[in-house]
Amino acid sequence: MAAIIDIHPAKHRTRVRRATAESAWSRWLVISIAVGFMGLMFVLPLVVIFQEAFRKGWDGYIEAFDDRATMHAIWLTLKVAAITVPLNTIFGLAAAWCVSRFRFRGKRLLTSLIELPLWVSPVIAGLIYVLLFGAQGFFGPSLKEHGIKIIFALPGIVLSTIFVTFTFVARVLTPQMEAQGQAEEEAAMTLGANGFQMFWRVTIPKIKWGLLYGIILCNARSMGEFGAVSVVSGHIRNKTNTVPLHIEVLYNENQFVPAFAVASVLTLLALATLILKTLTTTKRGAA
Amino acid sequence: MSIHIHNITKTFGSFNALKNVNLEVKTGELVALLGPSGSGKTTLLRIIAGLEFADEGEGKIEFHGSDVTNRTAYERKAGFVFQNYALFNHMTVAENIAFGLRVMKKPERPEREDIDKSVTELLRRIALEGYGGRYPSQLSGGQKQRVALARALAVGPQVLLLDEPFGALDAKVRKTLRKWLRQFHDETKVTTLFVTHDQDEAFELADRVVILHEGHIQQIGSPQQLRANPTNEFVADFLDCVMI
Repeated sequence: MAAIIDIHPAKHRTRVRRATAESAWSRWLVISIAVGFMGLMFVLPLVVIFQEAFRKGWDGYIEAFDDRATMHAIWLTLKVAAITVPLNTIFGLAAAWCVSRFRFRGKRLLTSLIELPLWVSPVIAGLIYVLLFGAQGFFGPSLKEHGIKIIFALPGIVLSTIFVTFTFVARVLTPQMEAQGQAEEEAAMTLGANGFQMFWRVTIPKIKWGLLYGIILCNARSMGEFGAVSVVSGHIRNKTNTVPLHIEVLYNENQFVPAFAVASVLTLLALATLILKTLTTTKRGAA
Repeated sequence: MSIHIHNITKTFGSFNALKNVNLEVKTGELVALLGPSGSGKTTLLRIIAGLEFADEGEGKIEFHGSDVTNRTAYERKAGFVFQNYALFNHMTVAENIAFGLRVMKKPERPEREDIDKSVTELLRRIALEGYGGRYPSQLSGGQKQRVALARALAVGPQVLLLDEPFGALDAKVRKTLRKWLRQFHDETKVTTLFVTHDQDEAFELADRVVILHEGHIQQIGSPQQLRANPTNEFVADFLDCVMI
């Protein structure tokens, strides 16, 4: 750091000063803006969530979970994540494999399609499925004929969650697999390994930290998704309310302690994700 | 085992990497593929290993008389040493060397003790005894190169293919390894084909040298023949000798 308060005026000329060094004043300004913003936008809400959740003490907090609708919402969210995450792990792996290993027509298109969920509003994502599978939708009549219910039911929630979260594993793995190249896989093949052995013994160990990182992000988003799920779920209590939707319902009914108590569970999930994400990033860096 | 290459052509998009290449490598021979970068030598080596496939047509590759043109790399099992070694970084040296034995199908796969024994024997051979428990990241370039070679040799390949085996090493290590490879070849007599852009390396090591340029074989011959009788302008220029 270039010292601004110079107590040796005689040495002034020889003082080392980087061309990019800012003045102390501007450094302070930038740091306080950053810290202030973080505090206001992230730390304060975090504190508020837990403060509100524990307003009636530990017993009140625990009591908030002694509720059929709440437990159902948590169970449903776990179920959705349990279906979504493995599927998106497979989709993500397949997509990253295609993009990083093969040259083909439409590769650019595929790459941008993978990022689609990031720039399409989740509400639109949900709406697509309503328009396709809803009662008035494209496949609506024929689905009804066969007695299959997608919208306002678990399949719709899972579909829209898959849509919103399929980008994560693929987006983490593609650049990593591109950078690593496939020399090790080729070596495995010349040593007599078949495709299955090559994948499990060489590829998976190479990408495991990135894969884990993608899975963690995918999981966090699939448990926390509100917009897309809100459109397709229909908010049926004890049936199609996931945790985020349930929080909204509780809040709108002025049940603040339960609302914030359930919200604190999602917050803890976010914090756990953050810690795991940091750990896997370090591991990825070291690998 | 001998290698026969008949009329192989390979194009990448509009680029003609190899044009009607014919080559025969006799059993037990040590042959160098020599040429400037972009001459197609690595492509040829990869096609022989089955890591790349030649254009459909009359082209044919035979290993000891049997047609392997449509066989995959893992069916051909040619020992291949990659330019940047391609060691499995998450495995120890011993695990790297044992890989080819461990992925064998049940009836052929040796017992665990026998695998350990061959690994120890190979480590001794490449003068890296006691290094079995290390990871590739803890090795020097020359050591990695020897491990890569041992890994390829563990499965007892009939053919050994080396892509710029000493390319990434410093001059001194290169010289030592060169001698070592020649000696090794004299002992084992595994049919060996290696790619290089360094003519000293080719001439010092190989029984015969194949000169490639722009996808064409320019000339094949022993180092003496090539020096004495370059067939064309390019060869003469490349070998830096005068055409008579």
